Amino acid sequence: MNRKRTESLFIVSFITGTIIMLFCIYPLISTLFWTEPGVIFDTFKDKQVLQSIYLSMGAATITTIVAFILGVPFAYVLARKEFRFKSLVESIVDIPIVIPHPVAGICLLTVISPRSWTGQLMEKAGIEVLGTVAAIVLAMTFVSMPFLINAAKEAFKWVPPRMENVSRTLGASHTQTFFLITFSLAWRDILSGMILTWARAISEFGAVIILAYHPMIAPTVIYERFTAYGMMYAVPVAVILIILCLIMFIILRLLASTRREGESI
Amino acid sequence: MIEVKNLFLQLGEFNIKDLSLSINTGEYFVLLGPTGSGKTVLLESIAGLKSIQAGSIYINKEEVTGKKPEDRNISICYQDLALFPHMRVKDNIKYGLRFRRDTNTLKYEKNFEILIELLRINHILDRYPVFLSGGEKQRVALARALIVDPDILLLDEPLTALDSGMKATIEEELKNIHETLKITILMVTHDFKEAYYLADRVGIIKDGSIMQIGPIEEVFEKPTSICTADFVGMKNLLKIDELKKKPVFEVLLKQIENSAEFIGIRPENIVISNKIIDDCCSIFGRISHIRNNGIYREIDISSHGVEFKAYLTANSYNDLQLFKGKEVFFGIDISRVAII
Repeated sequence: MNRKRTESLFIVSFITGTIIMLFCIYPLISTLFWTEPGVIFDTFKDKQVLQSIYLSMGAATITTIVAFILGVPFAYVLARKEFRFKSLVESIVDIPIVIPHPVAGICLLTVISPRSWTGQLMEKAGIEVLGTVAAIVLAMTFVSMPFLINAAKEAFKWVPPRMENVSRTLGASHTQTFFLITFSLAWRDILSGMILTWARAISEFGAVIILAYHPMIAPTVIYERFTAYGMMYAVPVAVILIILCLIMFIILRLLASTRREGESI
Repeated sequence: MIEVKNLFLQLGEFNIKDLSLSINTGEYFVLLGPTGSGKTVLLESIAGLKSIQAGSIYINKEEVTGKKPEDRNISICYQDLALFPHMRVKDNIKYGLRFRRDTNTLKYEKNFEILIELLRINHILDRYPVFLSGGEKQRVALARALIVDPDILLLDEPLTALDSGMKATIEEELKNIHETLKITILMVTHDFKEAYYLADRVGIIKDGSIMQIGPIEEVFEKPTSICTADFVGMKNLLKIDELKKKPVFEVLLKQIENSAEFIGIRPENIVISNKIIDDCCSIFGRISHIRNNGIYREIDISSHGVEFKAYLTANSYNDLQLFKGKEVFFGIDISRVAII
């Protein structure tokens, strides 16, 4: 007699999980098989496509680095310190997640447009942002930085402050403690946050298109080809972007999930 | 030597108010207090991990109040040990050495050898903390704290997370460390049995204030406040005004000052007998309740409307053939009655 028993709630979970998996994977697979491999290969040789993909990846990488440099120290203070209006500060961090991305683009445009005082200031300093890679990075950073800050904040929270206390009493300065203990224990989760940030940045379209239609990032090329020529010309570019993003995503995920023997908090 | 003078610290609604404390060099001082009394906060203040609002802290006569934790040469061991999970045991132990300003590597290497010998952790040096038992983790945390030759060792409830067998072993090792290294130790705990075994002197802390400080026997036998008496297990706290109304208890009140409000009697200081006890003040009563605690029995005796509590070993209990409702005599040594 089979004594194994499966709780009915798990059966429901399994069914909903299957629906979600299909919902995520089926459109991707469908896209991959929409077009001929030969067409994809030809698209790979298209200079405009390649440039847009390089630009997307490059801008997303710069965005991730900027978000890391600015976000990690800020996340540390959010994880460790209680202060007045902390909830308000945390809510402000999350604002870019909740506002529609074209709106985010408009908001940024009001800041860098030559009609704004900041835009005029930049113009006088000879700094050109609109329609440049800087504008793309700006838009990507705005919409994706909350992912890194929130991931780093949670990662730091998981490191018990008492470990830092012990380290301090053993002679390490605050900075030494941060790098040797706190960051050493949190870096994998921060890396996961960086992956999310990068993924969010490379997929950004709505905010970028407001600030910089040119130079074109990959989503802009896909959009342009779709509106001008239809699916047949848009899909091969989409397939290439999907493949490259998945490869990058898998490599980074593997890196973030490898733990040394015995390592856990 | 640690001297804390008029310490004031506010954390939300919790205060440490005008707290002063002096611990001698080489002393094993245990600070006893219930959960939330401010024990850990006080340790962290001494270590420089919590900023204080007023008062001063001296270590070996040198004021350290404004110094950073890394400049105080004080080690701390927490209840949860806080071993670094990404480092092997030997790297955990040697962690503090990389920040030592003196370059006497030979001395620290010798410390390492002495400590792993003293704490018997030679066989686990290459393991990660996750693969250690509770007792092993405790020893590693102690070795890590001691290798840097601290002036003071602060222990925050180091035995709470251990089972009773391991607790006894680590207690023994703490005593051994103290005797061998002659280090000043300030330990906080809520368990007065640990204090009884380990401490040279104890202090009682409640709601951020020190209630009493003294040699262990004095605090246990002669607490100066109801709160201390209650915390150190003095179960019989009797109101003098109530006792005065019953002539039978006059014998207990012979040497009592007028200002005193309570007398306290430890339950283990009450002797029960089936006949009158000659050597001490003997009172007649009836057993109202018996509670079996495994290794001892808790006996409640009712006498003229006053409830007394006594502890008996299982053997004595069996010899006396006690049962609920039995009439007995119980004796109290007047010299061991605390006046509060």
